[in-house]
Amino acid sequence: MRKQLLIIPFVLFLLVLITFFYLLLIERNISVISSNLLNKNVPKFQSKSLLKNQNFISSEEFGKEIVLVNFFATWCKPCRDEHKYIKRFSNEKKVRVIGINYKDDKKKTIKWLKTLGNPYSDIPLDGKGIIAIDWGVYGIPETFVVNSKGIIKYRHVGPITKKMYKKINLLIKEIE
Amino acid sequence: MKINKALLIIVSFCFIQFFSSNCYSVEPDEILQNQKQELRARNISKNIRCMVCQNQSIDESNAPLAKDLRILIRNKIKDGKNDAEIYKFLTDRYGDFILLKPPLRSSTFALWFFPIIFFIIGILIVFSHSKKSEKNLKK
Repeated sequence: MRKQLLIIPFVLFLLVLITFFYLLLIERNISVISSNLLNKNVPKFQSKSLLKNQNFISSEEFGKEIVLVNFFATWCKPCRDEHKYIKRFSNEKKVRVIGINYKDDKKKTIKWLKTLGNPYSDIPLDGKGIIAIDWGVYGIPETFVVNSKGIIKYRHVGPITKKMYKKINLLIKEIE
Repeated sequence: MKINKALLIIVSFCFIQFFSSNCYSVEPDEILQNQKQELRARNISKNIRCMVCQNQSIDESNAPLAKDLRILIRNKIKDGKNDAEIYKFLTDRYGDFILLKPPLRSSTFALWFFPIIFFIIGILIVFSHSKKSEKNLKK
């Protein structure tokens, strides 16, 4: 009986090894941390708007339709890379996109949007990065999908690629 | 003589390494005038993970987000928030991952108790083995 008990540590060790190998083999990005805000209401915030002469009040902007929230900055190269897909969401798919301008220069942002095109319906300014912290953002670009009830359904960290564009499109169709 | 020189270099290197681990990234403009409040802010910052570097606390990290979080913690302290409220604010937004010391929950049970369980199993195995060998010696 005692000899049989000696097998237990080896079995446990084997289980730990299998778990490690499984985690190594499955397709996952360990640097991406899942959002704690999923299935929760969008954070309430108020900020100056780049496009309008009035303040952006979040409680008035969410909860009516599906909204894509994109944290971006002109100094961020991946933001430039994903911009064509953000435009496609707005122009082709007719999804409302709100761009939160993270720690940026107003003049540079206006110039950037004139050059690349403006897909955003409104642009609240986050000069000190406080809105980003409220959304649990840790590296821009980050994009959130908010449903028509104002609940966050998805968060993507990093630039939107062709693959991600298709994935988010499918998700929007599912939510609709 | 050559050995002594090499030894001196190694000891100096270790000395530098020892003190470099105590470097913090708090900038002078962040420090609060009230020493008690500053100490509280430092203690909280040491327990908060930098979400950008992930293996450092925000107290040690130079990342802009770490600085923003350090300032935010200090502002919350100035506003009269207690430590629990500040931790809750951060975990509500970034999850438990932002805490360098994971809290005891059902999902972290294995993390906290498996080392103790394995340690006890190890001791039991060693104990039973030594008893067996004692018996064999007596025979």
